[in-house]
Amino acid sequence: MNEALDGERRAAAATACGEPPQPPLAGVHALGWLVAANAVGLWLSLLLLRPGWQAGEWTYGRWVPVHLDAQLYGWTALPLVAWLLRIYEVPRRWAEVAVWAWTAALALGCLNWLQGGSSGKIFLDWSGGALVEFVVALVLLWLALARGWLRVRGGWRLVALLALAGVPLMMFLAASPEVYPPVDETTGGPTGSSLLGSTLFVVGLMLMLPAVLLERGLQSAPVAAPFLRGGLKSALRSWTLVFFGVSWVVFGVTEAMGGTHRDWWQILAMLFLVPWIFLLPRWWRRYEWPEESRAWRWSLLGWWGLLVLSGVTAYFPEVLDRLKFTQGLVAHSHLAMAGFTSSFGALLLTLLGVRVGSTRTIVAWNAAALGMVVVLAAMGWLEGGGYGWMVERPLWRSVGLGLRTVFGMVMFGVSVGWFVAGRRAAVATACPGPGQLREVQA
Amino acid sequence: MVAVTTKLRAAGVVASVYGFFLIFAQFAFVEILRGDGVGMPGEKVALGAMALSGIVAGFLVALRGVSVPVLRAALVVGAVAAGLATMAGGFFGGLFVAVLTGAGIGGATVSAAALLPRWCGVGWVGLGTGLGYALCNVPWVFSMAPQGQAWVGAVFAGVGALLAPKVEEPGRFHHGLPRAGAATVAVLAFLALVWLDSAAFFIIQHERELKAGTWGDGMLWRNAGLHLTAALVAGWWFACGGWKGPVSAALVVLATAALAVNAEAGRPVAGWLYPVGVSLYSTALVAWPGYGMEAWRMKSAATRAAWVFAVAGWFGSANGIGMAQTLHRVPPMFVVLAAIVVLVAVFGRRWRAWATPLGVGLVGWVFSKSKPEGADAVARGRQVYLAEGCIACHSRYVRPGDPEGWGPPSELEEVRNQRPVLIGNRRQGPDLAHVGARRSAAWLREHFIAPRKFVKDSAMPSYAHLFEDRRGDDLIAWLTDGQGDALVWRMQRAAEWKPEGTAAGDGAALFAAHCAACHGPGGRGDGGLADRFAKPPANLVDGPFVWTADTGNLPRVIRWGVPGTDMPGHELLSDGGVLALAEWVRGLRR
Repeated sequence: MNEALDGERRAAAATACGEPPQPPLAGVHALGWLVAANAVGLWLSLLLLRPGWQAGEWTYGRWVPVHLDAQLYGWTALPLVAWLLRIYEVPRRWAEVAVWAWTAALALGCLNWLQGGSSGKIFLDWSGGALVEFVVALVLLWLALARGWLRVRGGWRLVALLALAGVPLMMFLAASPEVYPPVDETTGGPTGSSLLGSTLFVVGLMLMLPAVLLERGLQSAPVAAPFLRGGLKSALRSWTLVFFGVSWVVFGVTEAMGGTHRDWWQILAMLFLVPWIFLLPRWWRRYEWPEESRAWRWSLLGWWGLLVLSGVTAYFPEVLDRLKFTQGLVAHSHLAMAGFTSSFGALLLTLLGVRVGSTRTIVAWNAAALGMVVVLAAMGWLEGGGYGWMVERPLWRSVGLGLRTVFGMVMFGVSVGWFVAGRRAAVATACPGPGQLREVQA
Repeated sequence: MVAVTTKLRAAGVVASVYGFFLIFAQFAFVEILRGDGVGMPGEKVALGAMALSGIVAGFLVALRGVSVPVLRAALVVGAVAAGLATMAGGFFGGLFVAVLTGAGIGGATVSAAALLPRWCGVGWVGLGTGLGYALCNVPWVFSMAPQGQAWVGAVFAGVGALLAPKVEEPGRFHHGLPRAGAATVAVLAFLALVWLDSAAFFIIQHERELKAGTWGDGMLWRNAGLHLTAALVAGWWFACGGWKGPVSAALVVLATAALAVNAEAGRPVAGWLYPVGVSLYSTALVAWPGYGMEAWRMKSAATRAAWVFAVAGWFGSANGIGMAQTLHRVPPMFVVLAAIVVLVAVFGRRWRAWATPLGVGLVGWVFSKSKPEGADAVARGRQVYLAEGCIACHSRYVRPGDPEGWGPPSELEEVRNQRPVLIGNRRQGPDLAHVGARRSAAWLREHFIAPRKFVKDSAMPSYAHLFEDRRGDDLIAWLTDGQGDALVWRMQRAAEWKPEGTAAGDGAALFAAHCAACHGPGGRGDGGLADRFAKPPANLVDGPFVWTADTGNLPRVIRWGVPGTDMPGHELLSDGGVLALAEWVRGLRR
């Protein structure tokens, strides 16, 4: 890479607009982690087909947390980091420190997992030095945001900043082996209320997403931005926000009641997610979205609908009893991460000025992700009839895993293209002031 | 417009210089000295003289001016030196050849590095570098006697002198490259890489098994291909964005290779990585003096070349070899230091890109502490389960009613009191909550070592390496710990069990798939794994089993195994399959 040219153009950008962009760096890092996570995922799918390829100490089980956490803390989280850096208008130098610290902590975490340092908590297996490194990265990010706040000020930003101060401590506590969420004793999995609660966080993020448009100065028709502009009274006028509040109440009550997937109140808790399939598109319709975000918006809403419907359906007693612990739930995880979360991250980056993918590559990604989900779901359903299917039908299992590998190859190839284009665009970035959209054609 | 032939000839010059250096100066000359009875002190003096002569020649060329005739003359000197090496005997003869060789190499490398931008783009330099390395790895060249290799070196130098094109382009080839960064840090980065390379190379060459595993028969062509491919990639990469990309990649690859040669298990990996890392940085090393400049002048390019070849080339290789001779390994701390030097050089002006990760890593290192090992095998085995990520493929939670036949349902409170909770949420293999009640320790051990001997096309990889130390036995100790209640539960279920339906399936095929590994293909108790168990598997043809009057219990034994022995159950077989298998086993009896 031409770092010196990069530096010169950054300097030129700084001179031209006073402040060079933060999103490209965090965005490029996010795309880099997507490539890395996809490469590991591909390797894992090959190992399932050819276990003999496993060599030395870096075994299948050690690569799994690398794949999962690179997707979650790299590809999924870094676009949100980019958003925060934009909201607080963090100076470039501070932003660079925050992003590099994040990437370094995650890279060192990957090394730790490969060396057998997993704590056993899926998606939260930070332990020892790796946990300290990640907490340090979170603290550095908070300091960068605080530095940005000193310039931009603002009451709600301060409230959010103070709330974010608790994140490093929360991460420290959540990673502890002493903490574990409620368990449905009939399945060994989460309760319906737990699923509702965690999904409501995602709903909250999707409700807030249009705020990016305001940040960019693209929102010319604030038909209904009550939460963002109109204050509490206006917010209460919005039935969507009222329902959001009610959903949290339902979560609190059902969480306190506990129960299993056979209890009506736990099923009811899950059913409270269904209206969001319609409410979120309705909420988004109130805003004027830039044209270049169309493909990812459709993709995101499509995956969101599928995620909610399949999640609620899979929670019904007979269905969950059949799918629990099978490839069917692996399918659902991929639906969530490769489909929904990836679309969210890509849309967010696009709105922040780092356009991810051409229409063709977006279609390729989504088609491959859907293919993978369908194959895994079919395998899960067959396996649910009896675990013996996995052992006694090696041919069909291999066909399924082979198809999964092919889809994984497509996704890996597409992600490499996005990364290369994103890197080039970051180098070529000029002045990304509010309202300007830099297009990075993949 | 420069003709393609000129570019090809330029690539040929690079290949010739590298070929001469690698096959003669680095290999054949040292062997000839040893063959002539020159001892280690004499060898060190000769090689020191070669280095000194090379450095002096390089700086002289840089001072007096680079030209094509000078390049040709240097290569001719090199060719003469290689030819003389086959005739000169003893220390003084060797010393004379060493001085000539150094002069030839010093003059040729500095001249070529400065002239290249007038002949071709940097991609051709990658081609030349790759060809040089690849030709030296051609089996009959690599395996030739030292005298023969000296003549090959002479041919390389002679061909290089003939190939050197006239300067046709008054300007230079460029790629819109900016200033390449501070020359000093770049030289230091190359120094770190050459040092690392030389140390790893020395260790590989002086460990018989390692050499056989990396430069043995059949691997030379692989190495040639790797060298050529990596050098081409490096040339393309340099052309796209400068020297820092290939140098960073070379650092990662070489550092991994250097660490891998220290461990027995990692040496095959080193064999793949080493050629790649070397070719990546070698291309950048030749290209950097001429192409990595904002305002190109031949004289300054030659000066940079003289410095980089003196410091990184001669000094770095001598120290790398010296380090390997003394320590017989590449110290991890040296690899870390080399990485820091290269990172500083690559991201020098963007210090946040390297200082931040370094700081974060240092904090983590300070606060990291090795986990205390459990006092007993069971506690240690649990740690092995966590470290190996078994949770990624196996659950440890039996649902109420045991819908899948894994054992007694788990007690939620008991499960929740584990630290951490190890329920798992997805799986590729069976539930392991009560595997100790289903399988014996001996069976588990054999299955960990070779899963596919027990389950056809099993997705479970081999974990044989866990049994090279105590981890495997610890893991089994944990998996089989506290299974008394589960065993009783299982025996009760077995006693109550009645197969449904009639025999369905090919008994012979089922026997071959599920029984033959232990009981043998003919059922005589002579399977491949028979001798791995304390009590040999039953001979089903003419052993005591023949005298068993009531075989009505046979399906139960097949389905549930024999508790307390190594005979496992076959829980995944359908009732029809169990009955078909039992029928076939009954038929084995004479």
